[in-house]
Amino acid sequence: MMDNKTFIIAGIVIALAIGGIAVFFASGDPDGLESTALVVQGQKELTGSTPEDAELHEETDGRFSYTAPMPDYALGDEMGPTGGIIAIVAGTFIAFVVVMGIAYGLKKAGKPVK
Amino acid sequence: MHIPDAFIPIWQGAIYWIIALVFIALALKWARNEMNEEKLPLVAVLAAGIFALQSFNLPVSMGTSGHLVGGALAAIILGSPFAAIFILTLVLIVQAVLFGDGGITTLGTNIINMGVIGGFVGFYTFRGLMGVSKNMPVSVFFAAWLACLIPALCCAVEMFVAGTFPLMEGLVAMGIYHAIIGVIEGFVTVAAVYLIATARPDLIDSGVVAPAGA
Repeated sequence: MMDNKTFIIAGIVIALAIGGIAVFFASGDPDGLESTALVVQGQKELTGSTPEDAELHEETDGRFSYTAPMPDYALGDEMGPTGGIIAIVAGTFIAFVVVMGIAYGLKKAGKPVK
Repeated sequence: MHIPDAFIPIWQGAIYWIIALVFIALALKWARNEMNEEKLPLVAVLAAGIFALQSFNLPVSMGTSGHLVGGALAAIILGSPFAAIFILTLVLIVQAVLFGDGGITTLGTNIINMGVIGGFVGFYTFRGLMGVSKNMPVSVFFAAWLACLIPALCCAVEMFVAGTFPLMEGLVAMGIYHAIIGVIEGFVTVAAVYLIATARPDLIDSGVVAPAGA
């Protein structure tokens, strides 16, 4: 059986490997929700492929808008795949640290006072 | 199925946020009660893994791609739908704030769909099937498949309420795409459960190896 340290390292390595492969091999097609939006907007057939020039119309009037520091898991076109890898590595570690930190904090706070 | 800000009016997003906060509070309570030195790394590693898996969009034909959500995985491994809510909430916050994947006003909706609905559907489908079939891979597969499909259908209804999609068209398209994406979700979840069960059988919920009630 793996000890905690090995388990964490193995888990993170697997996560980073998946994320790294994703940068190069992930499909550029829209996801299920975006595809549905394109179908509804008449830009795509239900079972057909997504046209190159299909562009999602997004309602912006009266809607909140926010620009993330690393939109679409990348650091802009000029950074290319390197930017993608940086973004994924950062995200994977941040997800790990945030969950670890909050879970640890809750555990501390949850300890009965003696 | 990360809903962007543009797809839901702010006031509706606020309503979903309030509902989501109730479940987040319950999930925090779960974490406080269940977390121990042994489980902590598993939960954090699962979050890192789910984040990475979610960034991997696989082609699912029909000009569409899809990725794992992970709600069923977290709920089954940790033996509680609240585990899924806890992990998915934090992963979704990171995705929305840093990567613009899913909106901020719609974050509550996304937490409800993927964390709450995905977690509950995944967990109870698994428990039910495991009780009947006693077959772990089959139970995990269908639990994960449904935990992808049902939130997608809920999402279609929310899109209808928001005035973004017509009801039937949205349900049909979301249903078809996510029925296929769910197959990926099913296979990956079975593989992940096997991997973790092999590496650390002590960490996973006993319901995974022994059927509920046994």
